[in-house]
Amino acid sequence: MRPPRASSPGIAGPDIDLIFDLAPLALLVLSPAWRITRASARFLAEWRVSADDCIAHELLSFVERHLHPTRPTYLANLAACVDDALAARAPRTSRPINTRYGVSWKARVIPVFDGDELLSLVLEWQEGPLDNSDFESTEPGLTTDDAFRILVQAVKDYAIFLLDPKGRIATWNAGAEVLKGYTREEILGKHFSLFYSKEDVDIGKPEMELELCLRNGRVEDEGWRYRKDGSRFWANVIITAVYRDGEHVGFGKVTRDLTERKSTESRLIAAYEESEKLKSDFLANMSHELRTPMHGMLSACTLLLDTQLSPRQRDMVSIMEESGQVLLQVINDILDYSKLSSGSFSIHSDIVGITSIVTSVVRAIQPSLPPEVHFELFLSPDLPRSVRGDPLRYRQILQNVIGNAAKFTDKGAIRVHTSVECEDNETCTILTEVTDTGIGIPDTSAANLFTPFVQFDATTTKSYKGTGLGLSIAKSLAELMGGRIGYRPNPDRHGSVFWFTARFDKIKCLSDIRGWSRFGAIRDINAAPVKQPHAAPSPSSSVDINEMLKELRIVSPVKNMLLVEDNLINQKVMLGMLRAMGFKNVALASNGAEAVSLVRGKPAAYDLVLMDINMPVMDGHQATHDIRAAGILVPIVAMTAYALKGDQERCLETGMNDYIAKPVDKKRLIRVLGKWLLHMKDYRKTVDERLDEPRRRPDALCQPTPSVEADNPLELLTGNPVVPSTEASEGGKEHSIDKPLPASLSIRPRHGPEKVTGALDPLNNDENSCSKPIPVWNPESAHEDSRDNDDGLSREHKAEEQTDVNHLLHGKCPTSIGLPLVNRGRPPPPSQNQEAFAK
Amino acid sequence: MLYTDERDPGNEMPEFGDHVDKTMFEQILEMDEDEKERDFSKPLIYNFFEQAADTFERMERELEQKNLSELSRLGHFLKGSSATLGFIKIRDSCEVIQEQGKLAGSESDLAACLDKIRDALAQARNDTDELRNLMIKYFEN
Repeated sequence: MRPPRASSPGIAGPDIDLIFDLAPLALLVLSPAWRITRASARFLAEWRVSADDCIAHELLSFVERHLHPTRPTYLANLAACVDDALAARAPRTSRPINTRYGVSWKARVIPVFDGDELLSLVLEWQEGPLDNSDFESTEPGLTTDDAFRILVQAVKDYAIFLLDPKGRIATWNAGAEVLKGYTREEILGKHFSLFYSKEDVDIGKPEMELELCLRNGRVEDEGWRYRKDGSRFWANVIITAVYRDGEHVGFGKVTRDLTERKSTESRLIAAYEESEKLKSDFLANMSHELRTPMHGMLSACTLLLDTQLSPRQRDMVSIMEESGQVLLQVINDILDYSKLSSGSFSIHSDIVGITSIVTSVVRAIQPSLPPEVHFELFLSPDLPRSVRGDPLRYRQILQNVIGNAAKFTDKGAIRVHTSVECEDNETCTILTEVTDTGIGIPDTSAANLFTPFVQFDATTTKSYKGTGLGLSIAKSLAELMGGRIGYRPNPDRHGSVFWFTARFDKIKCLSDIRGWSRFGAIRDINAAPVKQPHAAPSPSSSVDINEMLKELRIVSPVKNMLLVEDNLINQKVMLGMLRAMGFKNVALASNGAEAVSLVRGKPAAYDLVLMDINMPVMDGHQATHDIRAAGILVPIVAMTAYALKGDQERCLETGMNDYIAKPVDKKRLIRVLGKWLLHMKDYRKTVDERLDEPRRRPDALCQPTPSVEADNPLELLTGNPVVPSTEASEGGKEHSIDKPLPASLSIRPRHGPEKVTGALDPLNNDENSCSKPIPVWNPESAHEDSRDNDDGLSREHKAEEQTDVNHLLHGKCPTSIGLPLVNRGRPPPPSQNQEAFAK
Repeated sequence: MLYTDERDPGNEMPEFGDHVDKTMFEQILEMDEDEKERDFSKPLIYNFFEQAADTFERMERELEQKNLSELSRLGHFLKGSSATLGFIKIRDSCEVIQEQGKLAGSESDLAACLDKIRDALAQARNDTDELRNLMIKYFEN
């Protein structure tokens, strides 16, 4: 017991020190310099310290030693609180401070002034709950780790709170307050659907989310949520089911405000789209501008090749011409790509002869292969003969995929397998798989195969030409045609398998086919693949213009021409030119309507129509349309103003077969006429007649030509309906006449798709290959006509001509296309080719 | 023109200055069976000048009517025959008329187009007169 001690005169009472010591309060007395001068017994007991531990120590350093965890913010808060109290000269209470004993303390800071002089500071420590009031106050059972609790408390950017099992809000953190605008007092106990829009509440979304969450453990959602003031924000919400000892006690909810991110995203997307569009536009414009002079150069090359040149000069011009073709192909790739990516690419509807296109693409590519590479072509017996779709674009995909295989395969085999993937009443989907034994694709690159401008191996770029656009274009085209494209490694050995599908409409009406097939086939010429960079230099000038004129003069006296031209001067000049070539029968029409009535009046009278485009009364397009609509397939050659870009494609689109630029150049006229009057089958001969037609051709064309026995380039070129082979296969005799078969199909058994007739070469089995007119027209004519050609129709056309003319001239005939007949779902019969492939 | 080298070098080409594309015009002359008589080319060329005079008259009328589309059509028409004969200066003026005639726009555009057509027409007439004299000299010698 301490003796009582008077602290002041007057009323005697208990010693103030004693009162201080015995008060049930944890008190500290500080000097003005915040040094501890006294501590109450209660304080020493509660904090489990001795007087020596604290007396004379500076407050903050003392408290710091007892913090658990050691958090600078506690000290800062305490210091701020003291400062605040001093400034206000009034008591202030600090926020709770956790000490190492798992308890928290709040300090009530009482400054004692004597006048303006600070005498002392008294701190009354009040024990409180741990500084996890949010959790502990409502769900006292949910003890969580301090670190987690502090984290949750401190985060201002996320609203993190708990819901009870019914969805009522049980806790609230600073982030929630900031984000949602409700204070803790306002919101506790309310249902969380408060944050949802009326529409969401009406469809029961909040409840649905809790249900889903219970089922799946968590649920994530993005959407609009509403603040207290009614404003909305784009929220990412994650709700997690919370369990304690296996018992569901509520939900944890984390909400983030993504409004800013979302608007940034949409700005980014807009900017990206804008730049993509600009890029595409730029590419399209550039390609266009590049192509015009390219065509000029190529045409000049062609004309130059026509002149007297020394062999050395001819070589060099050929190199120029070939390089120009390669460059043109690159430009066209870029243009295609930019058209595709700007969405301005359209798919036309026409007759597609799947088998003839596949065969001709294979044939066009084969010469570019080294002899070590074997080519195999499998056409499934159930392939439809003709379908409706875009032959040009289908061919382009094929050309690309097969061309790639050829490009990257040095030895082994390339197998092309075309079959029906699926069909219904209206459509059928054609699957083409191209398997090669080439360099293959590294796994790491497979994902980027169809990405524009990416070539899978930068080191190969040098040895393999190209823009890196081919597959990306093929992909877009396949998708435009309702199909897909894909890659997998060759399962058997090194190499790749590229496959693609395209959906076509079925053709129901047979007469449709007959009416269209000729026209479609002609269009198809123009859809022929582009020239391969590997193709041999063009022998373009080998066919002399004078030779062609000579040939033309032989047939011209018996040919009936129709000249449609409104301008009298032009009429006379054209007549003069035609007469100079020996044409005696030239009918005249001065507008489209006259032409239509003349042609309709005598549907089989004319061998060829030369059609002006711009005419009064009825223009050339309409006239052509009307003539075609009447089912008359007479070749129509447009005479089109040179300057009009896109005009020439339009001519082909409206059903014309060819075009010649105005003013008409005599040499070009000779070439075009030679092509159509000498080298094309007569449109008037029906399939029936052709069956019976004696095999003959003009004497002028009878010079022996290498490879002709093994080759039937014309049909493959044109895809024309040809005489069904009768000797070709056991099924061949049963071909019905009203179903013309493309050459490539002639070996297919018509009946019994299960029947395998063995390997036959479609190119070798043409019964009249010897006696067919040989297509020796000069590819240059296509050059000259292809200026300003936007879609490169005749460019492609010419490319294939050249390839085939090559065979004829150099005797490099692709005779070895193996064509084992395979039934779908059955492995191909073993054959030599098969073995070669397996090697 | 670029590709004249392969043509008959002995054929003496009359001098028409920049009025005529030699290649095209030679193509016309080649169709004459008799180089003295010029039974094909001479009436053809004279016909052209008739056609040109007639077309110019029509153009004047359409200019007054401010009928752009018809002017364009007439421009195209005469462009066709002048190009066929290789009369390139006339052709170029006709092309201007054709192109300007296509530009149907606001009132101010219309006036500008008509002005340009008027100029091109005057130029075409002028060139036609000059060329006609040269041609007459050539054929009547």
